[in-house]
Parts: sequence; structure tokens; C-alpha cells
Amino acid sequence: MNDEIVKIKGTKTGLLLSFTQGFDFDTIEQDIREKLESGSGFFTRGTVIQIAPDALRKDDQARLKRLFSRYGVLFRTTDPLAAVQKTREQPNPDRTASEEDAQQMVVVNRTLRGGQEIRTKSSVLVCGNVNPGAQIIAGGSIDIRGTCRGMVHAGAYGNSKAFVIADHLMPMQIRIANLIARSPDEMEKTEKAERASIKDGQIVIEPIER
Amino acid sequence: MSEVIVITSGKGGVGKTTTTANLGVGLAMRGKRVVLVDTDTGLRNLDLLLGLENRIMYDLIDVTEGRVPYKKALVRHKKYDNLFLLPTSQVKDKSSVNPEQLVRLCQELRKEYDYILIDCPAGIEQGFKTAIAGADCAIVVTMPEISAVRDADKIIGELNRADKESIKLVVNRIRPQMVEKGDMLDMNDINDILSIDCIGQVPDDEKVVTSTNRGEPVITLEDSVAGQAYRNIVGRICGEEIPFMDFPKDSFLQRLKKLLGM
Repeated sequence: MNDEIVKIKGTKTGLLLSFTQGFDFDTIEQDIREKLESGSGFFTRGTVIQIAPDALRKDDQARLKRLFSRYGVLFRTTDPLAAVQKTREQPNPDRTASEEDAQQMVVVNRTLRGGQEIRTKSSVLVCGNVNPGAQIIAGGSIDIRGTCRGMVHAGAYGNSKAFVIADHLMPMQIRIANLIARSPDEMEKTEKAERASIKDGQIVIEPIER
Repeated sequence: MSEVIVITSGKGGVGKTTTTANLGVGLAMRGKRVVLVDTDTGLRNLDLLLGLENRIMYDLIDVTEGRVPYKKALVRHKKYDNLFLLPTSQVKDKSSVNPEQLVRLCQELRKEYDYILIDCPAGIEQGFKTAIAGADCAIVVTMPEISAVRDADKIIGELNRADKESIKLVVNRIRPQMVEKGDMLDMNDINDILSIDCIGQVPDDEKVVTSTNRGEPVITLEDSVAGQAYRNIVGRICGEEIPFMDFPKDSFLQRLKKLLGM
């Protein structure tokens, strides 16, 4: 793995890129372009990419930013410490979430483990699993690229149009707006991605293509 | 390059101390210079498993409070000259040591030893936080049981929060017959949930109990399956590629053979 030109590391706020010494910028750019075009799922729209401020020259940074923006990926140069502090700010749960908030997306690039919680007014995208004992409480919808075994609450501030999608949807409980559905006592691993939403006043789960 | 490894689990009784003792002896058998640090203050056991209880003069608290240099508190193993134990106190409690003190101690131990194994107490409170403070990497021990796996998951989350990047998994006390019948979680289920690199699968073995009582870790027994599993883990820690042992279970060909009476 040492010959990788660009290394990608998940952080609490997004992806952190670092570059192996000794490659010129053209090679780096080419490598990133290939990664973007391969659609490996790393760079979904809305993903926040960060690099260390001193990793590249200013004009090279600008070129990367243009490249990423073509694929809908946000590109920032921030020092990781500031980024961590930003996530610590807890949104105020008393405030009711507006439509605008639901359009915003929090990207979680790791597996949520037991005891961990995401609480936000906006929507949530998890690239990883949601393990039993973990919780997501979102004002908007929840999309999980992985297996969901924890507790998920979409539209937590009253948005009954919110939904939950997961590659394998097998949570302890699904809550949408003010409705609750609990898992069947015998859980089976689902093969297809599923979507939970409110239909006719109850939570309905149906398979989807993705 | 010396390495500080913390052995932890969250849940009690899954075999942290047993794993620490066995890996320590295993590494020492390979000629490494090893020190085992017991941080389970008030409930110390590691000395019993190594059969060294009667040789303890000073303990971890004496060292961290500066009463004696650490070298005075180290207990040399009876058989392996390059294996040392730093026992903890049985009378004090977990609040007697703080993370900074342990980090400082680990820095000193690094100068002299190849491997520093820290035996972590159960739980996620003060004692756990102290134990992991100085570690470069962690070995999470679990059992094929939902509560143990759930707690391991929590611990991995806590380790991530403390910025420990290198976390390995050891699954202890596997009972192949039960797994085969579907009465016990199998490795796929566990890897599915925990999704970290597994470096050991140790079968349940009565010899672990008998050897514990004698104070000689099971890794020294040539004919024990658990001993073999621990030797494999030691190899993997040293960077060797060792395939996982085949327990008598679930390969399709084997089941077919059994079915045909072969």
C-alpha cells in the first residue's frame, strides 16, 4: 500500500487527503481524477474534503478545488483541530428544524459504534455501519451506506416526510417524526437496500434500487 | 522500536488478563524483552497467572508516586529472564494512578523493552482511561456472546475517541461445536459488527483453567489448542502472516464428508 499517491483518511467532519512525498502535482491530480471517475463511493456529492494547509502550493490548491467542485465535492484547507472543534458544537434541540435545515447534510465517514450519537437538525449521510446501541437523531432524512442496527430517528423535529434508507436496514427501532416502529423479534439480514417512510399514518418499509 | 500495547475489553471475564499473560510469555519465548504492567489496581490478578505473587516487593503505585524507581518494582519471571511484571497494588484503588503518570512510566519503559503490555481493568471509567493513555495500539478481547461483542464495540468507539488508530481484535473462548450448531455467534457475525482487524481466534480449552491455577500460562503447553492459538497471535504481532486455525467446523467439504460417512 506504500505506493499510493493519494491517501484518504476519514475524519469526524469529512475526508482528509495526504500525499506521498516525491510525486509532482500532475500525477496527484491525475490520481484524484481517476478516483472521482471510478465512482468508488468515496466521493459522494456533499462530501467535505480537507487537506493540510501546507500540503500543496496555492495555485495547485485552486486547481484541485475546481476539479472537486465539478463532482459536487466540497474542498477545504483547514487544520484538523479546528474541524474537530466545530463538530463539538451541539445543535440546540429545542429549535424546530426548518425545511432549509433538512436540505443540509451531515456526513459521517465512519462506523457509529455502541453509545455514539449523532444529533442534528439537518439530514445525515453515514458511510459506514450504525451498530447496535448507536443513535442517530436527525431533523431531516437519514441515509446509511452500510448496515443499520442501531436506533434511527428521522424528522425528529416533526418532519413527517423524512425517511430512512440503508443498504441493510435492521435497526432496533425506527422513528419517523412522532411514530415508532420496533424491529421484529427475529431479525433477518436483508439483501436489498430498503427505505422506511410514513405512509397512511404508519411507518412502511419497502425495498429500493440504488 | 518498542511498542506499548494495551489489552482491553470493556466487559469483565472475557480473558484480558489471560491474554496478557499468554502474549507476554509468548513474546518472551521469542527472545523479546517484555514487561507486563497490571493496571487493574485493587483487583490484581496478572501476578497469579504468572505464578509470581510471592515475589512482589513494590507495586505500580510506589513507582508512580516516586517512592521507588521502576526497576525495583519489576518482578522477573521464573523461567524467562527477559520477561518482567510490574504488579499493581491490591489495597489502593483506581484513582491512585492518573493517565499522565502512566504515560511517563511507559516512556521510561520504552527505553529498555521491546514490548510493554498493559493489562486494562474492565469498564470504561477512570481505570480504563488511565490504562490506554500511554498505548500505541490496542488489542480488544471479546467472546462470541452478544453482550461481550456489544461492549467491545463500545470500547472500540472509546479508543477511536482517544485517537488510538491501531486496534486489533482477539476473539476468546470460541466453542466450535456450538458455533457449528448455530448456538453461538460465528466469526462472520462478529467481524460484521466490529469491522476491525482480527489477529486471533482462541478456542475454549480446559487447559486454560488448569494452567491458570498452576501459574503457568497455557501458551507453554505444546499440546493445547488454545496455546497454539496464542502462539499464532504472538507470531502475528511480530508481523508474520499466519493463517487462522481450522476448528473442526463448517467447511462445506468437511460437512459433505461427514454426511457420506467418510
